[in-house]
Amino acid sequence: MKVNRRDFVKAQAASAAAVAAGISLPTSATNLITSTADTEIHWDKAPCRFCGTGCSVLVGTKNGKIVATQGDPESPVNKGLNCVKGYFLSKIMYGKDRLKTPMLRMTDGKFDKNGEFAPITWDQAFDIMAEKWKAAIAKTRNSDEMPPVGMFGSGQWTVFEGYAAVKLMKAGFRTNHLDPNARHCMASAVGGFMRTFGIDEPMGCYDDLEKADAFVLWGSNMAEMHPILWTRLSDRALSAPHVEVAVLSTYKHRSFELATNGMVFTPQTDLAILNYIAHYIIESGNVDHEFVKKHTNFRRGTTDIGYGLRPEHPLEQAAANPGKGSSTPMTFEEFAEFVSDYTLEYTEQLSGVPAENLLRLAKLYADPKINLVSYWTMGFNQHTRGVWANNMCYNIHLLTGKISKPGCGPFSLTGQPSACGTAREVGTFSHRLPADLVVKKKAHRDIAEKIWKLPEGTVPAKNGYHAVLQNRMLKDGKLNVYWTLCNNNMQTAPNMNEEGLPGYRNPEAFIVCSDPYPTVTAQASDLVLPTSMWTEKEGAFGNAERRTQFWYQQVPASEGSKSDLWQMVEFSKRFKVEEVWSDELLAKSPEYRGKTLYDILFRNGQVDEFPSSDFKGRMNDEVDHFGFYLQKGLFEEYATFGRGHGHDLAPFDTYHKVRGLRWPVVNGKETLWRFKEGSDPYVEAGTGYQFYGKKDKKAIIFALPYEPAAESPDEEYNLWLCTGRVLEHWHSGTMTRRVPELYRAFPDAVVFMHPDDAKDRGLRRGDEVKVISRRGEINSRIETRGRNRVPKGLVFIPFFDAKQLVNRLTLDATDPLSKETDYKKCAIKIMKA
Amino acid sequence: MKKLLLATLLLVSSVVFAANEGVMSLRSQSLDVQDPAEKLKNYPKENLQQPINYIQQPPLIPHHIRGYEVDRKTNKCLTCHSFKNFKRYGATKISVTHFINREGQALSDVSPRRYFCLQCHVPQVKAKPLVENTFEPTGALAE
Amino acid sequence: MRALKKFYQILCKPAVHYSLGFLTIGGFVAGILFWGAFNTALEATNTEAFCTSCHEMRNNVFEELKPTIHYSNRSGVRATCPDCHVPHKWVDKIARKMQASKEVWGKIFGTISTREKFEAKRLHLAQNEWTRLKANDSLECRNCHEFDSMDFTLQAERAARQHSSSLASGEKTCIDCHKGIAHELPDMKGVEGYQ
Repeated sequence: MKVNRRDFVKAQAASAAAVAAGISLPTSATNLITSTADTEIHWDKAPCRFCGTGCSVLVGTKNGKIVATQGDPESPVNKGLNCVKGYFLSKIMYGKDRLKTPMLRMTDGKFDKNGEFAPITWDQAFDIMAEKWKAAIAKTRNSDEMPPVGMFGSGQWTVFEGYAAVKLMKAGFRTNHLDPNARHCMASAVGGFMRTFGIDEPMGCYDDLEKADAFVLWGSNMAEMHPILWTRLSDRALSAPHVEVAVLSTYKHRSFELATNGMVFTPQTDLAILNYIAHYIIESGNVDHEFVKKHTNFRRGTTDIGYGLRPEHPLEQAAANPGKGSSTPMTFEEFAEFVSDYTLEYTEQLSGVPAENLLRLAKLYADPKINLVSYWTMGFNQHTRGVWANNMCYNIHLLTGKISKPGCGPFSLTGQPSACGTAREVGTFSHRLPADLVVKKKAHRDIAEKIWKLPEGTVPAKNGYHAVLQNRMLKDGKLNVYWTLCNNNMQTAPNMNEEGLPGYRNPEAFIVCSDPYPTVTAQASDLVLPTSMWTEKEGAFGNAERRTQFWYQQVPASEGSKSDLWQMVEFSKRFKVEEVWSDELLAKSPEYRGKTLYDILFRNGQVDEFPSSDFKGRMNDEVDHFGFYLQKGLFEEYATFGRGHGHDLAPFDTYHKVRGLRWPVVNGKETLWRFKEGSDPYVEAGTGYQFYGKKDKKAIIFALPYEPAAESPDEEYNLWLCTGRVLEHWHSGTMTRRVPELYRAFPDAVVFMHPDDAKDRGLRRGDEVKVISRRGEINSRIETRGRNRVPKGLVFIPFFDAKQLVNRLTLDATDPLSKETDYKKCAIKIMKA
Repeated sequence: MKKLLLATLLLVSSVVFAANEGVMSLRSQSLDVQDPAEKLKNYPKENLQQPINYIQQPPLIPHHIRGYEVDRKTNKCLTCHSFKNFKRYGATKISVTHFINREGQALSDVSPRRYFCLQCHVPQVKAKPLVENTFEPTGALAE
Repeated sequence: MRALKKFYQILCKPAVHYSLGFLTIGGFVAGILFWGAFNTALEATNTEAFCTSCHEMRNNVFEELKPTIHYSNRSGVRATCPDCHVPHKWVDKIARKMQASKEVWGKIFGTISTREKFEAKRLHLAQNEWTRLKANDSLECRNCHEFDSMDFTLQAERAARQHSSSLASGEKTCIDCHKGIAHELPDMKGVEGYQ
């Protein structure tokens, strides 16, 4: 899909005037630059680098640099629009401090954990890495244990990079200690989908935004975090007067600007509100009994499951069933009785939301005539009962049959551009393999090993260390070499003071960080590798509505940098299989003796199947270096996992031509609403609906209670701390804070605080304060106005600011089922600095 | 000329690089030390109108917007920037692109999908960039 | 009933034990006392503490005031509720206070007891104030923001432009442009200048 300027102008009829004003049109007028060579900008498509919305942008390049970007008018996702971050994509790669060479901590020319960073060559970098990796692998090579080798990846990786990482780690190094930063972001959604439906990712799609009569935002500030979806929601809500917008959060934010029913609830009580709605649906006689009988089962979930802390933590000791996700069957009547505890009065008192607002919300769900979509992001997912919250939201959609239909359904919004495409679909989690397969099941490992042409038993059968556990294990000395790519986990992982930093600085650990820029994580590492980003490489992302989108490399990689894909594949050349695999495994596949991991994983006749000549773009550093179309080979091998199993992807080349397709793509046709006859090719005729992720094709309605948060305010630590993002900055700010316009739009993190809370503490706007939790403290400034209006008793601090590391404060309490951190609730106190 | 310039630039940047051999993030201190909090930076009442970097870049807001309400009830921005009002207040006219709906048709007023101005247009505090950005506009927009 | 009758008779009878002089002076003093008490009571209702003593005011308009420039600003000169909403002239004040009894009525009967009900009434309530301010040429604004004391050169360009033209000519008054500066606006559909 290449767009020359003429096509581009044609597609841009709407903004032709603007285009003509700046980019030259063929003309002979003397006051314009008339030579095409001087003015022609090469335009091509690429998905936006930022959030999970998956907008398509047009990237304009000239002389090897990006000179312009704009919303892609042909993209069904954003139809020509971008948010402010998207509009400034042109500048994200051009921060002056791009890393230009690998840097190693050294003293007197030798690696020293406590040395100063000094430049080295790529060869030297891989030398020291290989040495450290081999030493770590040697410890366990002939045992049942997985080697103390870990990798922390990303929902911002390309699909190819995620897939290469899975192969390199799970098959190459034979360790499952691979997890993506999506663990901090979407793991609870994954857990919820798997538990209720047995298959990951939303059934609906963005088309619901134009079709629904009511929208409910549960812990999602779509106005700032998914701005382009918000434009679609605003479009619908403001053009159809009957449309209701209910917004629930623990503080007022920009999404409340459009709300017809805005509700600020006490943290954690969303669980009670969800059960109240279920109760109301039943009590008011609005259960779709036919749907429920045919397509659902009821189960009672195990309760008192702890908080995912270290096992010796008092909260884990006190829990009856720490980490348990089991459940037992129950009847509809038993379920009805279970939720009947959640009366309107009880829920009002617990949540602090006025009864009439709750009632109005419940009626939206109950009314069979109202098409309703529920959206959620981190409010549900970063929650010590995140999987439950997801399950409970599915409950109310399943009870009413409001699911898998146009304008109707529960929809989990992803945070990252490829949280779905890379982290989830490719399976870069410590328990997963591609296409929803898991490492614990022998049958699943068999499938992977067969596709990869590897001997039985290559992939380890035990779950690896998840994100939060990786930091704990680094600290405990059980993870010794660690490679973190495409994320900034030292700034974002919880409880940095007690777990993250001691882990990285543990003398037993060797930490490698790949990034385009010097990040906080890079600062904490031992070896830093300069990475090519976004359109400096070919890529593929999968967005929140199952849309897979491709892009070509548009500009040469910045000086000295290499893509994560290049880094991982090139690194695999450093390992002879004898140095990595056990003798036992090698005995099963003597033909692999003497070969490198590169030969076995990436020159297996599949990954290297497609010659360089298949490549049709302008440039591709990996094709040039490896001598075959690496991305295509990886993708086609990966796609065999899902084709015919509900995860069908189109052929590689198709994606370079279209503005993405929503899987399953069967017979060239994408799928808009899954599980419903007529729109999902996997549903058999005459059944109406089939939730085919489960054996009996029925979804599960779970009875789950409200349980309190891990840490709540008390006498001393008397405020709730909630952390999150702002519109102008992406996550830890590595890219956006290097764009001057975005930096100036929201320069530094602040403490959003209620004016009365400030007054009570003798504080005023702008005062420097110490924000203190049981784990650490940071300095920040008080903000009593602005976009977020917090209630008394709660403060919000964004996490983009490298100088104000909010994760010194956060508690590493996770959902015991999904292992995702609750970044929205911990207790702090604030005093004047 | 251009090459010479580039070479000089590279030279300068490599000198800068060599001078700072450590890895410094956007912090001013090592990780063991607590950075002091930056002072609140205010959005000035008036700001210089900054030139756009490329054609489709949304113009930045050259003034403060404290207390400006944009919600379902009202849109303060449009009271000055709308087609109807811009002349009277000497404000920048909202772009015609804002009248185009999702289907690409022109409406007689601003498309509701463009209603929330601050999703694309942002005010600016007075502050030096944290890190210099080497992006260069091209063609007629080049300085 | 009989006691009431007796009391009425006493009231009707001329004074027997007290002199006329005493009654005149006493009446005068009593009058002053009553007047003082009335005014003190009136003034007591003329404070922010009184205004925000009911949740309707506290949770809606007062909460909305807090982030605005009329509550917190550079110089610390701030406006309290009565500064803007109660006329300073006695006659107007009494008129406004009598109007306010309707707001108390609203409180007692819960016509704005919830945020939703308040929002539904907001346009009506706002319009009352806009009309009043329009009619008195934004008197309560001008009590602090005196036109003659404005230095246009120190104002933002767009402010100076409007103040030196429309405001100076008397074509516009403060409230015409400065609606919603201290509280959220109602649904502004159809309101002049907001199309």
